[in-house]
Amino acid sequence: MHRLIISLSIIFLLAGCGGVKEDKPLVFAVGGAPSEINFWEALIDEFSTEYQIDVSIVRQPTDTDQRRQGLVVSLKARDDDPDVFLMDVAWLAQIAASGWLAPLNTELDSIETEAFFENILDLADRYDGQLMAMPVYVDGGVLYYRNDLLENIGISRPPQTWKELIEFSLRVQAVERENNPDFYGFVWQGAQYEGLICNFLEFAVSNEGGFIFEGDSLRLNIPENVEALQLMHDIIHEYKISPPNTYTEFKEEEVRLFFQNGNALFERNWPYAWTLHQSSGSPVADKIGIDVLPHFEGGESISTLGGWHIGISAYSDMKEEARRFVEYVSSYETQKKLALNLGWNPGRRDVYDDQEVLEKLPHFADLKTVFENAHPRPTRPYYSQMSSILQKHLNSAVAGEVSPENALQSAQAEIQDIIGRYR
Amino acid sequence: MNRIFSKDILRSYFFLLPFAVFIIAFILIPVVGAVINSLYKDVTFREREFLLFDNYISLFKDSGFWQSLRFSMLFILVSVPFELILGLIFALLLNQIRRFRGLIWAAVLIPWAIPSAISARTWELIYNYNYGLANYLLSGIGITGEPINWLGTNVGAFISVVIADAWKTAPFITIILLAGLQGIPENLHRQSRVDGANFLQGFQKITLPLLKPVIVVALLFRTIDALRVFDVIYVLTGGGPGGATTSLSIFGYNYYINGDFGYGSTISVVLFAVAFGLSILYVKLSRFEAGLR
Repeated sequence: MHRLIISLSIIFLLAGCGGVKEDKPLVFAVGGAPSEINFWEALIDEFSTEYQIDVSIVRQPTDTDQRRQGLVVSLKARDDDPDVFLMDVAWLAQIAASGWLAPLNTELDSIETEAFFENILDLADRYDGQLMAMPVYVDGGVLYYRNDLLENIGISRPPQTWKELIEFSLRVQAVERENNPDFYGFVWQGAQYEGLICNFLEFAVSNEGGFIFEGDSLRLNIPENVEALQLMHDIIHEYKISPPNTYTEFKEEEVRLFFQNGNALFERNWPYAWTLHQSSGSPVADKIGIDVLPHFEGGESISTLGGWHIGISAYSDMKEEARRFVEYVSSYETQKKLALNLGWNPGRRDVYDDQEVLEKLPHFADLKTVFENAHPRPTRPYYSQMSSILQKHLNSAVAGEVSPENALQSAQAEIQDIIGRYR
Repeated sequence: MNRIFSKDILRSYFFLLPFAVFIIAFILIPVVGAVINSLYKDVTFREREFLLFDNYISLFKDSGFWQSLRFSMLFILVSVPFELILGLIFALLLNQIRRFRGLIWAAVLIPWAIPSAISARTWELIYNYNYGLANYLLSGIGITGEPINWLGTNVGAFISVVIADAWKTAPFITIILLAGLQGIPENLHRQSRVDGANFLQGFQKITLPLLKPVIVVALLFRTIDALRVFDVIYVLTGGGPGGATTSLSIFGYNYYINGDFGYGSTISVVLFAVAFGLSILYVKLSRFEAGLR
């Protein structure tokens, strides 16, 4: 009996080893909404049939920090899986600077970089002169507005300046609140997380502020930024055109649902919301428009650059197969599918001129310029640390717990310590 | 005689072995590893570099550290007594129950058995500004006209976290204290009643003194847990607003995920030292109590 058990165990053990070695799949780590995962699963099926390479998905959460955490743990442990993964542009620099990415441009490869947004490749994907990642899709903050409600007050265009946005909001709010007490003029991302930085940059840079670096010293507490942060505070507490829980609960999805349920006039969000707003069953379908964000008087509209990039682990044991996959993902056909199926914005700029894409998604024509002029967050490997500090202080100021000057002054001092530590 | 004695000792060491291996593998090695790591600049995107105590010096100059230490201490001072009183009241009430005892005890334990992440998510919905139960109930009975932004102010977020934590952990204290109450002989109470003591006197002179060792144990567990609090806060406030509810664990965690393992370890070591100090304090306290008796 004992002998039987032992020999059976050995057989199973050997079978186990053999099995793992023979058809070890390429492991791809990706997260996101169910529709996004479905898209990747379908894509992987096609890729597997075409290249005879087995791919398995490691499904990650939606939250960007949790996705990063999962990758940091595997990469720090020099794990040979995942082989290939998606990275947020906000922390791509950290991963690249840690030496965790395998370069893409070996002589074997034929990734057509010319077809991509050159400014984005330069900012995010090249590290030490080498191509380390490819943009899969790009993001930039845009303004969504309700055509029907603006027409009600006799206005036929979206606001150009923040001042106009406040004015339009107050007027529409006065009308709508009679029937809908929960109606607000403007919804945006104010919770304490990365999205708050993106929103802040759009206010600040449209006032000619932002992160001002002089070598390794950072200036944040400048009048332009103070004014921008004051405005973010005032639109909640003073003009009351944004809900009071903006700075506690509002992330992308909370904002999107608030607007989509017909409870807001304006929305700041990423382009992904368009397809969802326009889907059948959405209360705001066919009542909305999309435009660049407003700006301060004398400033210019800008969008914070977001998006996800694909790269290969330096510890991958299947680098060649992974390169095939990266090529496949950055091909014209795949990028077009990404646009048509998910309504997302491909990293390839030539897809924006595609007739079929423009027919289904006419707003793509305008988005191209948004991405060409998108404003990046600092691409320093310690950006995440800077961001945590700034998020904390911006959130305090937006909540009204401290003044904008004090918040920016403390953030500047603490970030300077961070720069000193990681320089 | 001597031989048997040493054989016995050997055998007892042998029985201790699994436990010792467990302690060494999962407690001692990680703690020593963290202490060693805390002496280095260990950032994923920089060369590893020996710093000696530089991390500790930066930590003690770091206003973020003092803010989270202050929060953690305040959290212990408010949540632990609150939970203890709540748990004690429940325990005293439950101790009176004679029928369906097992069923009711099990029901009391449910909040403690639910994973924190899930109960915190539930509390997040309760506190929600627009459609949360808390604001619905308050406006229903007409206490507040305007809904309250529970998680949006420093004080509100603090109270919300304490309530969510108390809901989950008071049952734990209840069960420990109930076990203690069961150990108090019934005839002591009967005698005191014969002597003419009322409920309060009985509680003060009999229940409380006999319950003290159990209370110290409950306090020790809860204090250490409150010091390390992570899950409830991570889900409920993420440390906000503006870092007002950043516990030491959340503070350290943020450095780890940002790739700074050296500084993250420094925070862990300090957290460990504080927890260790508190444990010794409690142990001393309970010995002192035992000595008095």
